[in-house]
Amino acid sequence: MIFSYRELVRAGLAAGLLMSLAGTVSAQTISYSEAGALLAQSCGKDIVKFCPKVNLGGGALRDCLTQRADKINPQCIADYKAVVASLDARLAAQAAVTKACRGDATQFCQGTAPGNAHYLGCLNAAKKVVSKRCTTAITNAGWN
Amino acid sequence: MSRSIRNTSSLSFAVAVVALLGGAHSPASAQTALSGDQIVQTMGSAARAAPPGLTAALIRQAVQQHMIDNPGMPITWKPLELLNNLAQIDVQIQFALNSAIIRPESYSTIGSMADALHHPVLGGYKFVVTGNTDTTGNRKDNLALSQARADAVVEALTTTFSVDPARVEAVGLGQEALEDVKNPKNPINRRVQLINIGKYLPGK
Repeated sequence: MIFSYRELVRAGLAAGLLMSLAGTVSAQTISYSEAGALLAQSCGKDIVKFCPKVNLGGGALRDCLTQRADKINPQCIADYKAVVASLDARLAAQAAVTKACRGDATQFCQGTAPGNAHYLGCLNAAKKVVSKRCTTAITNAGWN
Repeated sequence: MSRSIRNTSSLSFAVAVVALLGGAHSPASAQTALSGDQIVQTMGSAARAAPPGLTAALIRQAVQQHMIDNPGMPITWKPLELLNNLAQIDVQIQFALNSAIIRPESYSTIGSMADALHHPVLGGYKFVVTGNTDTTGNRKDNLALSQARADAVVEALTTTFSVDPARVEAVGLGQEALEDVKNPKNPINRRVQLINIGKYLPGK
């Protein structure tokens, strides 16, 4: 492997950020699973050492990393922030899919039964003709 | 770290899917043998739909009843069967010893659960996250520990990973739903399950 997993994810985050700064595409997002893997890889050792009694959820880990910031390796802090930003962007994309894809669904998915993500299946199948706005929202939502 | 999917409706052992999923053919799979997509497929199985009205509270009651009905040595019990036929996966989450602190190497596994729970195919369903121990130690303590561990997983899902808290609840099963009844101290019994408990009807 030429690049480590962490480097790949980090490169992806950086690319997404650059694209969003350029205004062409909204931020690319990583999956929840990739987010967990990146946190473990960048922060795992420091968590075990400096925050052994706190859990991932409920803000406990975030608070501990903040409180012990002087001890935590800077890459962990940077990656933690990147992960939070990416997960926020993914959640926003999930919320935006319906609106971003409404026109495409009307145009390309007539007769689709509602429910069970049938519209999503149709839009993904028709992605060659579906609008960029819609496919970007679906991609950033992690639903393609 | 092994993960498995229970994919038959009988009282079967979980079928290991590690082989099915293959080895480390990409960096992502090296980190996460069980993907959110895999979970989505298993969890959406209509053939294994939960009976109407199943709730986390009813499962907790059944666990209490099982402890009353089955005193004595684990080897003599039938494990709790209430959940066997439901769409579910077994997940190995690493916790700190005798505590509910999730070890960092399991963050990505919880992320995979979140990937599945965020997918629209499963958007119409409710889930329970169970905790299970083996039979080492005290039965009541095991129940409490398994509840605390399931709580920790649900908390991570619903806060860090933004899963709607109305759709997922934690239930400790203690040592009442052993995977390997003949070997009650087999570590395979220590597991977290994600189980589809039926349609999510907002407001109910």
